[in-house]
This record gives sequence, C-alpha cells and structure tokens, in this order.
Amino acid sequence: MGLLEYSKAKSILDKYKIKSIESEYVTSAEEAARFGKPGPIALKVLSGKALHKSKSGLVTLGLSGESEITAAFNALQSKALKLNLAPYTIIAQKMAPSGIEVIIGGRTDPQFGKLLLIGLGGIYVEAFRDFALRVCPITRRDAEEMLAQLKSAEVITQHGTSIDMICDLLLKTSSLLTKEKNISELDLNPVIIHHRSYDIVDIRVLE
Amino acid sequence: MKTLNLEPMLKPKSVAIIGASKDPEKVGHVILENYINAGYDGSLYAINKNAAPNEEMLGVNVLRKIGDIRERIDLAVIAVPAPIVPMVLEECGKAKVRTAVVVSGGFAEIGETELQDKLASIARKYNMPTLGPNCLGVMDPRSRIDTLFLPTYKLSRPQVGNVSFVSQSGAVGSTILDLISGEGFGLSKFISYGNAAHVDEVDILNYLMEDDETKVIVMYLEGIKRGKEFIEVAKKITKKKPVIVLKAGRTSEGMAAAHSHTAALAGNYEAYEAVFRQFGFVISEDISELLHYAKIFSTEPPPLGNKIAIITNGGGAGVLTTDAISASKELVLGEFSKDTILALGKTMPKLVNVRNPLDLAGDADYKRYGTALDLISKDPNINMIIVIALFQTPGADSKTAAALIHFKQSSGKPMAVLSIGASYTEMHKIMMESSGLPVYDSPKAIASSLLKLREYYQYKNRKD
Repeated sequence: MGLLEYSKAKSILDKYKIKSIESEYVTSAEEAARFGKPGPIALKVLSGKALHKSKSGLVTLGLSGESEITAAFNALQSKALKLNLAPYTIIAQKMAPSGIEVIIGGRTDPQFGKLLLIGLGGIYVEAFRDFALRVCPITRRDAEEMLAQLKSAEVITQHGTSIDMICDLLLKTSSLLTKEKNISELDLNPVIIHHRSYDIVDIRVLE
Repeated sequence: MKTLNLEPMLKPKSVAIIGASKDPEKVGHVILENYINAGYDGSLYAINKNAAPNEEMLGVNVLRKIGDIRERIDLAVIAVPAPIVPMVLEECGKAKVRTAVVVSGGFAEIGETELQDKLASIARKYNMPTLGPNCLGVMDPRSRIDTLFLPTYKLSRPQVGNVSFVSQSGAVGSTILDLISGEGFGLSKFISYGNAAHVDEVDILNYLMEDDETKVIVMYLEGIKRGKEFIEVAKKITKKKPVIVLKAGRTSEGMAAAHSHTAALAGNYEAYEAVFRQFGFVISEDISELLHYAKIFSTEPPPLGNKIAIITNGGGAGVLTTDAISASKELVLGEFSKDTILALGKTMPKLVNVRNPLDLAGDADYKRYGTALDLISKDPNINMIIVIALFQTPGADSKTAAALIHFKQSSGKPMAVLSIGASYTEMHKIMMESSGLPVYDSPKAIASSLLKLREYYQYKNRKD
C-alpha cells in the first residue's frame, strides 16, 4: 500500500471526469513564478515521508507576485531539506476561491468492499464527524440521500444548484472506486463548493 | 452460491436428540424435556451412546447411535462434548440426516478453529445444513420445536406470531426472546446461529424471506461473514418484508468484546450502518427499540403519508407527544379536513378544542373516544393515528380499551396507543396488545416507531 504520486492520482481523476484544480510540478522558483501569473497560487511539498503537509508547515497559501513566490519556494525547499524529505517534489496550484469545504473519500472495507464517504470537510471532519457512508456502486438516489443525511446538508447545499453537481461528483467517485480495483483509499479533501462549480484542492490516493 | 434449505430444521417431521441425558443438569436432558413440554408431535428419538437396551428417557426410547433409527431424520440436535461433535456429525451425514443443530460450545469462540473447520467441512460434504456450533438453535411455536437448553421456568416461551428473531448470540438471544414472550406480538421463528460455521445470516435471511409465516424479521448481529452475499440478500429482502437490526460492536471496545465472544469478525460499525441504511433495514440502537419497532411492524399496515393525528385525554401528554413527533423532520401533525372539524364541532362537548392534537379532556369516556376516532380515521388528511389513553383519568376504563380495539380493526390506518401507568394501565395494555393494537409507554417510543414505519414503507414502495 502506498501513496500515489500527485500527477498519477490526478490523471485517475481525469479519467472519470473529476476535475481537480490546475496544478503543475515546479523545480525552480522561476517556474513557480511563471505558473503564478496570474496568482494567487499555493505551493506544496509532496513527499512520501510527510503525510500531513499542512501540519508539517509544507504548504504556503495565497502567494502572488514574483518576489513572494520566490521567497516561499526557497523557504519550502530548505524546510524539505532540513526535514530530510527527499525524494520530494514541489507542486504549484492555483488558489481556489473560498466556499464550503467538503470531503469526498473512499476506503475498502474487508466485508463490503469499496465505501464512499461525503462529509463536512476541511478542519470540521474530525470535530463534527458529520459524514454519510454508502457501499459502492451507489445510485443517484443514494447520492441524494447521502447529502440529505448530513447534519450540515443545508450549509453544504445552500446554493440549490450545487445539489446536482455534488451528486454527480459522488456518482463519478463511486464509479472510480468501483472500477479502480487497486485503489484502497481515496481522499478528496477539501472539495470547495461554489455556486455552480467546485474545486478539488487536495488529492490523496492510496494503492 | 446454493441456498441451504432450512425447512426441515424448522418444520421437522422427525427429530433426534444426540447427547440426551437422564441427568436433569445436562443440556441434553433439558432439550429433550423442552420438546416434550412444547408438545412436539413428530417422531422423537433420544440418542445416548451409553444407553442400555430398551432404555427410556422421559418416556422416549433411547438408542445408541443415529444409525439405529429406521426412519430418515429431518433434524438432529447435537449436544455432546465438542471433541466428538465431528464424529457424531459424520454419523448423521451417513444416516442421511437432513439438517443438524450443534448446541455444543468449545469451537472457534475459544480458539478451536480447526475443530470448527472440520465440522463445517462435514456439513458441506453431506450438504446437510448445520446450525451453530455454540448456539441455542431453533424454536418454532407452530411446529413446536424448541432446541433451547434453557428450561421454561427460566425463559418464558413466546406465543405464536409473525415476528422471526435471528440472533448470533445465545445470551442476548434468550434475553430478547424472554422479553418477546411478554409482548403482544408473537413469534414465528427463533434462530440462534452461534459461530455460523455452516449456516450463516445470509442463509437464514434467504430462508425467512420466503417464509410466509414471517412478516417481520428482527436481527441481533455481531459480525457478518459474507459481506457481498449479505448485500445481495439485503437488496431483495427489504423489498419484501421489514428487517429490524441491532448491531453490536459500535465502539472499538465493543468490537474487541465481539471477537472474544462469538469469534465474530465484527466489522467497522459505520460500514454496517451504511449497508443497513442503503438497503432499507430498520436500524435500532438498543434492545428496547428493537422491541418497539417489532411491535409496530408486526400489526400495523403501511401508512399512506406522514400526517399524524393525536387524540388524547390529557393535554400535557398531547404536547409531549407533539414534541416527540416534531423532533423528526419526516412526521407532521395533519390538519383535520373541514368535514372533520364540522362534525367534531357538532359532536364534542364545548370544552373540547377542535384541533390536532385533539384533547378530549379528562372526563372523556369510551363514547367520546369512539366518536372522535370514527371521524378522524375517515379523514383523508390523516395517515396515522396516535391515541393517548391515560387510564388514571375519571373517564377511561375497560370500555375505552374495547372502543380502541374496535376502531383499530376498522380504521385501516396505522394506529398506536400511548398509555403510561402502573398495574391498571398494564392490564389494559395487555388487553389491547393481545387484540393486535400496539401500546407504548413513552411519547418518544411511539413517535420513533411510527417514524420507522413510515420510513421503511417509503423505501419499500419506491421504484428504482
């Protein structure tokens, strides 16, 4: 079992038409700065040795302009060296506008197979434990019921338009989990929900 | 996978009790005695390897081995020490015994997995559905079989009914069975399957799904062995009849206990809950909820909507019940139709405020209840009826209970009674429940039971 490299994880999502936020591996401050036009962007250090990027201070958000991006890139690089995270990569991502954060994920249950989860995301996942779980594959009705089951349903679906969109996303994720037999765990967290769109900001796929 | 036929186990024409004993302390003795007490009228044989020629036990001939019986045996109840169970089961297989129940313990639950595997492979070899080991076995008050090794003075046996109860655990099983015997609804089948070496919950659900004597299934689960097959039967069964489930092992401490208890592979509670929700099971959180839900499903028809009427002889109890109803998003108090309001206005005394909840006042007698029920049960805006009958009030007596029973039989809508009180109330509760009218003793219990009824039939009747 291992964490899939970001680009591989992203390409699996692409296969199921699950769009994740625009991102690019950057190997130098110049590359990062080029990607950062227009900003703002985020820079993240990815390493198998650091599963919790934010907790380890390996994520810098909201960067704009060449000098800010260069400084942040250099700082992350020296931190990665100091923490002995090699081999590591640095990824640049466009910043998503703010919105309601949800988590969509999956895991493999020894009894029932692939399970699909949606919950109030970001920092609230563990605090409120407000999530709904189903066995894959799910139907559209299952997806609707998952959303309705959440205590935070009204917060998450405050734009009426986002219900169908989130249900579509759940159905696509269910199909991914069902068909990709090698994937044992999946985290899309956070998925930021906007009026008519979403941004998947972070992906974790375990094989 | 092939479905195991459990019919000969629950409707046996011939039964052999292997390990039958003269010693009243022995399990084999109690089982034999229970068969006789239950009035089982098929052929009954006692088997004891040390039997003397022509020996009798409780009036039953004792033979030395199963092979000595001339007729084919539908059910062998095996109560011998664990190490010799495989040998005995092998003999049963050779004698073409149709099904077996192994009540003996001493298998996977204490780490003897090899012995249990041996048992399972013999059962498979002879295609002989084998229940257990480490279980209480089966009970069916219609066919009067009772493999329980617990004497009737300790554990009351339920009357005949339409609820079947499946339990992995013997101890929880017997506790709930004892409680069921005190309820108005009766029992169709009791199946305690212990370690599930051969017959497991999937086989049992497949059997009960097709069993016409079973209207409601109640299940106590610790762990499931075949998750995928369970999902397959779950999809089908809840479209036919309600399955009320109580799953143990919610916390990790609980799961550890389940392991040492029936060697069950208690999975992650949330995964189980997800499966139960997704496939329309009625989830209960504890034993009392299990019984509350069984009661409502056993007698009440599907509700055609979510609108409830409350008829009460106590204002406060009406408010408490309204609160309990409103706690769910799904249930609402219905508004009486104009016709109902007019008719109630004409027939009710002035002190009765015509609205829902309808407070008939403390002096309400059976006639006032009857008039109100007659009107409200015909109201198209009302789908379910809660009647609060507080028997401490001046107006309520046995005639009130009789009136409620009468309307229960004619209304065609789900109806349940809330009566809170001690012995006088208890007496009327028994009266009403034995006539098929469910009675509850708390607003919360009645509200959650009607909610489950509504939710289940919505699931059952939806098309997708």
